[in-house]
Amino acid sequence: MNKMNRFFLVLAVLIGSVTACEAPDQEVFDEVPSDDALGTTNPDALAAFAASAYRQLVGNWGGHNSLWSLHEVASDEMVIARKGADWDDGGQWIRVHRHEYLPSEPAVGNGWGYCFTAIGNINNLLKTFGSNALLRSELEVTRAMIYLWLVDAYGNVPVITEKTTDTTPPTVARAQVYDFIEKSIVGGNFGGTVFANNLANLSAQKTYATMNRWVANVVLAKLYLNAQVYKGTQEWQKAADACQVVIGSGLYSLAPTFKDNFVTNNAGSPENIFVINYDENNAEGFNLPQMTGHYLTQQTFNLTDQPWNGYASLEAFYNSFETADARRGASFLVGPQFSSGGVRLKDISAEAGDPDGEDLTFTPSINMLEPNSFRQAGARVGKWEFRLGARTSLSNDFPIYRYADVLLMRAEALWRINPASAEALTLVNQVRGRAGVAAFLAAQMTADNLLAERGREMFAEGHRRSDLIRFGKYNDAWWEKTASLPTRNLFPIPQGQILVNPDLVQNPGY
Amino acid sequence: MTKLYLRIRSCLLLLLMVFTVSAMAQSRTVTGKVTDSGDGSPIPGVNVLEKGTSNGTVTDADGNYSISVGSNAVLVFSFVGYTSQEATVGSQSTLDIGLQPDVTALSEVVVVGYGTQEKKEITSAVASVSAENFNRGNQTTAAGLLVGKVPGLSVTRPGGDPNQAPTLRLRGITTFGGNAEPLIVINGVVGASLENVDPNDIASMDILKDGSAAAIYGARGSGGVILITTKSGKGGGSYTNINYNGFVTMDQVANRIDVLSASEYVARGGTNFGSSTDWFNELTQTGYSHTNNISVDGANNNLTYSAAVNYRDNQGIVKGVNFQRLNTRLEVGNSFIDGKLRAKISLAYNDRDQESINLGAFRYATIYNPTAPIFEGTPDDQNGGYFQRDLFDFYNPVALANQQQFVGERKNSLANYRLEYDLIDNLTLAVNYAVDREDGLNGGYWSTKDRIVGFGAKGQARRDTYSNRSRLFEATARYDRRFGDLNTEILVGFGDQLRSFEGFAAQVRQFLYDGPGFNGLDFGAIRQGPGTEVSSYYNEDVLRSVFARANFNYKNTYFLSATVRSESFSGFGKDEKTGIFPAVSGGVQITELVDLGVVSSLKFRASYGVTGNLPPFSNLALANYGPAGIVDFDGNPLTSSDQFVRIQLARDPNPGLKWEEKTEINVGFDYGLFDNKLTGSIEYYTRNIDDLLYGVNLPSGAPNPFGADVNNIANFAWANIGSISSAGFEFSATYNGLKFGGITYTPSFNFTIYDKAVIESFKVGDLGLSELRLATPGAPGQNNNEIIRNLPGQTLGNMYGPVFQGIDENGRYKLSTTNPDEFEVVGNGLPEGEFGFTNDFRFKNWDVNFLLRGAWGHDLYNSYRGFYENRDAASKTWNSVVTDKTPFITQSPTFSSLYVEDASFIRLDNFTVGYNLPTKSNVFSSVRFYLTGQNLFTITNYTGIDPEVRYTDSENNDRFQAGLAPGLERRNTYATVRSFTLGLSFKIK
Repeated sequence: MNKMNRFFLVLAVLIGSVTACEAPDQEVFDEVPSDDALGTTNPDALAAFAASAYRQLVGNWGGHNSLWSLHEVASDEMVIARKGADWDDGGQWIRVHRHEYLPSEPAVGNGWGYCFTAIGNINNLLKTFGSNALLRSELEVTRAMIYLWLVDAYGNVPVITEKTTDTTPPTVARAQVYDFIEKSIVGGNFGGTVFANNLANLSAQKTYATMNRWVANVVLAKLYLNAQVYKGTQEWQKAADACQVVIGSGLYSLAPTFKDNFVTNNAGSPENIFVINYDENNAEGFNLPQMTGHYLTQQTFNLTDQPWNGYASLEAFYNSFETADARRGASFLVGPQFSSGGVRLKDISAEAGDPDGEDLTFTPSINMLEPNSFRQAGARVGKWEFRLGARTSLSNDFPIYRYADVLLMRAEALWRINPASAEALTLVNQVRGRAGVAAFLAAQMTADNLLAERGREMFAEGHRRSDLIRFGKYNDAWWEKTASLPTRNLFPIPQGQILVNPDLVQNPGY
Repeated sequence: MTKLYLRIRSCLLLLLMVFTVSAMAQSRTVTGKVTDSGDGSPIPGVNVLEKGTSNGTVTDADGNYSISVGSNAVLVFSFVGYTSQEATVGSQSTLDIGLQPDVTALSEVVVVGYGTQEKKEITSAVASVSAENFNRGNQTTAAGLLVGKVPGLSVTRPGGDPNQAPTLRLRGITTFGGNAEPLIVINGVVGASLENVDPNDIASMDILKDGSAAAIYGARGSGGVILITTKSGKGGGSYTNINYNGFVTMDQVANRIDVLSASEYVARGGTNFGSSTDWFNELTQTGYSHTNNISVDGANNNLTYSAAVNYRDNQGIVKGVNFQRLNTRLEVGNSFIDGKLRAKISLAYNDRDQESINLGAFRYATIYNPTAPIFEGTPDDQNGGYFQRDLFDFYNPVALANQQQFVGERKNSLANYRLEYDLIDNLTLAVNYAVDREDGLNGGYWSTKDRIVGFGAKGQARRDTYSNRSRLFEATARYDRRFGDLNTEILVGFGDQLRSFEGFAAQVRQFLYDGPGFNGLDFGAIRQGPGTEVSSYYNEDVLRSVFARANFNYKNTYFLSATVRSESFSGFGKDEKTGIFPAVSGGVQITELVDLGVVSSLKFRASYGVTGNLPPFSNLALANYGPAGIVDFDGNPLTSSDQFVRIQLARDPNPGLKWEEKTEINVGFDYGLFDNKLTGSIEYYTRNIDDLLYGVNLPSGAPNPFGADVNNIANFAWANIGSISSAGFEFSATYNGLKFGGITYTPSFNFTIYDKAVIESFKVGDLGLSELRLATPGAPGQNNNEIIRNLPGQTLGNMYGPVFQGIDENGRYKLSTTNPDEFEVVGNGLPEGEFGFTNDFRFKNWDVNFLLRGAWGHDLYNSYRGFYENRDAASKTWNSVVTDKTPFITQSPTFSSLYVEDASFIRLDNFTVGYNLPTKSNVFSSVRFYLTGQNLFTITNYTGIDPEVRYTDSENNDRFQAGLAPGLERRNTYATVRSFTLGLSFKIK
């Protein structure tokens, strides 16, 4: 019995000593704990947090398989033809071209994720740093800018702010989203959230790649210009006025030449109002040479990586440029292609039927959309300079808002109010003049001409789809595309998002 | 706690220093004949050993033996299928022995975790495999020893890459995001690395299959447990054994993908470069490997010791793919205070070097233009003299294999210190401290002429190193006592494990000279931006456990066992710190109650057990901030004082994260017929795994669904997301010592039928997570169509696609649909069943052993066909794959049921012939020669490289996603290998 007691004593000691032994809290060694991160008073750290709002935008606005790709390939200015197995990609790009996009398209999901990730990030910043009024205004308006992309692409989307508690936020109707964007900028009460007049609070300095009063006005101008599409009522005058605020600031002007806006070091362009500040080392994501170049284009620009031979322009769009238009030469890679050393490039795998044979030649004409487009077919996107020796990402900044766009927007708004507006004509001709083409006559201020002018000026900058919709042309038939239903003016809500958030409602027609 | 460990460790070391070593002596000759006591036939090959020594011999073809022995010698006669027998020599010079056929197969001892049990007492699903039943040949990993031996255990290594570890699955898929492989326990060290033990050094492996058996390992037991016991000295006498085993192996390509020859390719319209090259032959070779193993074990009174050295040099069938490994093991034990205090120290050290190439070379060797020469130009030109062309996805495979170089060094060490003390009769206390460590150093170099990193990239080099450590302290108390007819065993214990993971990586690019490579990163000019890296990490976690087990045996008829383990893990969410994992099992030996005639033994048993799986990373619950790239406040890269790395939430945290929980019910019979000549087991199990751990998508930007006050920005978090269920039936039978004339035949057969894992639900709070799509075929052109969809209510890993309905008159596909929303299930990569059939023959001094094994009911996506068999425009650039299933299609390939093939197969995995040299030498107690062929033939309708089951997707670097996408044979699959091994082993007296 004595032995048994000793046994139980040992047992008791063992059990007693270990029941107190819960595992300790996880120690943090190679990350920054939340309290340290958010409790900082270091001004550089705070500035880095503020910069975070924009850093989230670096990534895929100018990159493949996201919002930009959707806008471009769904419009009449760009296409990704299928070259045999290459660029089949589950049929996504053919469907997008033909407006047959499905809720499961990866690009549809990526575009949504891109915007809402940036919104989540801004909301996190607002939770911690929202008491700083200036920063709050900057963040709220930046968030509104991202909502402008969402209201344009997806229309009916959840409105998520830093005060939202619902972990599966429901769909908000497009007109309400419009209201949220407007109130976020000009102030007002949106569903209980009271916004200050952020437009007034924002810095009036000309900042680069960050939100200021002038960027906010362009956001408003875009919102108002598309008000008929977004909420069913017209706001032409408000659109014209918002543009005028920017023009009247005197801070921005047209760059001397069109190309100045798109060179590798385009940060100095006086035309930039808001850009995504790409850098080949620190802010990667703009990989246009890969997206549009032929495999051999690698040798033209001494690229470190082989291009994918994807994006090209449609022939009809290419032909909408006059020969004299400086923008044509500055926007496309066409014709015979040479290595950086001047040697004519040869594609030994050129298809037997290709009239250009092995000599690499980009022709505006594309033989077919699918299944066997010629590898050399299609004018390529050459609007941004490809630095000799460029790596996978470019350092050129991507203009989200540019002064020429503001001029054309004001022109359009004034023309909508009064088709004979003289100022509208002057503004359009300001842009045409820089391109080296003859001024429009008053009689040439037609819807088709205005739309085409915007197309030539804004090619590849991600605006064409919205423009086509606003001008009522998006559902028209064009090359390898039949007329589409008006419900296709909105992209579907991504299937992946509906799966995780059952409170989202799919857009009509899907 | 660390100080405590140090103190314990130094105590143990002191004790071990007290150990002493001594020697021994002998002489006199005994002869005799060994026969079967049933039919009187002579038995050749019987081991005859002088007890307590290494002095021994083997009977000859007529059953005769002759041995010199010391005075008072006791001889031990042993042979498979017979009960071992001991005889005292006394003054006799002739000693004939009749051996009894073995009817006590059920009395063997089974390792069950924190102890052993007699097999007859086992009430859960446990399988044991000892060294004599291991697979033969050039087995480079411990897992390879078990292929086809244990029903329910899959060991797969598709292709023949010597540097690829096999994939293990016990009873199918048991987790989404936890550890899918069984927990490895080496000599009691929980969670040790298989790399720590050389296959030559293993004495036995015990596999805990069901939840009840594994529950003693709590939150790490869900994948099952493999307990490895290494060879060691036996106490109680004085002896020394020296064993040598050495072999050379020749590896040849067993299967390759057929493509068009140069002339066929040109006739078909392919671009003609005027040469003729068999690219696959250029890439491959006949590989020669050699392995040497020397081990010593012995005892001297209270001291036992063993030591082993293994050296392996494996050259694969691909030039530039190889490894060398030196493995050393040392174990010393001693006992004190009349055997009441026992101490043991074991050390294992493993040093491995490997080289490998970019396995994409296999793809290019298959599709590269057969009319292209290997070289053109000069070594100084832009391509290093290799033939290259600027075509899409077109890389000279020989250049690729030579211009990219990858090396790795890995050092594993395992030190284990154990002290046991019998405090009172029946009560034993034990403490164990183990340090398991793995250090790795990798290097990669992409030559300045290499085209894949880019023709303007001018070379790229990388070094990375990592160090993973585990420090485990365990203390147990065991109480054994018989109360009348009731045998009782009670075990309680405590464990504390600290694991740490750290690493460092650097990568640079743009070199002038190829020489320094990864040995001279400072020769690289570009150290920032794409293709470069400087990073490091360190984290650690703590697992603290308390466990107890009680076993009861009433009259060897009724058995009951109960287990509980509580696990507290620092990586769990703060409200879910501790999990409890209980189990209970019972059995009844029916033949003790009723006479069943020819059924000599029949035990029915049933068990219920709960086990868990830990989250794969330890910070997942926390809202920490991590580095998120450099911000340059003024946007001007020339001013650097304003550049900082900004931080952002490292992940979307889940403060409620907890363990995965598996509940398993197992019922089974252990049977013995004909005096237990025929023995085996039958098992049926059903299991539910709840709170599956997985990384799931969250609504982008929405508030965190797990209660953290942040909005989602990774839009991805680890959570306990749902449940799966599966079931299975396992059967095994062995007939011990079937006689045909002089031949003794022991067949052993097992099979498993799986009821594949079905996804019961995906659900986290309000979030809907109703689908996981994975695995696109890849470039060119098949990047966006995931072919695996995991959906609730369906079998895990279903492949979705259009159904192939034929070919139209223009050579175009007729498919059921092109709309992904209308795709149907076209296959599943998980097997419906597997079998293994081992056959052992002995005739005089000869033995023959072969293993047939196979799997059925699993599909494979044959990606070579899926990309390269069509006569489309691309077939002008790339060579075409030709199989007996290749149709005439002129369209570009797109995924459909056409490329999903039934991959059921039967394979002669292993065939060995051995000869035991009769020896009367004074030096050698046994000498054996053997020849083994591995992977000799495969019967299958599959037309790809290897019909072996693919549990993971080799192209998905996310190992969790990879595990949910079974059944894909990718284009980088290493060719299969057929091996022939010639070996010699002997034992020195």
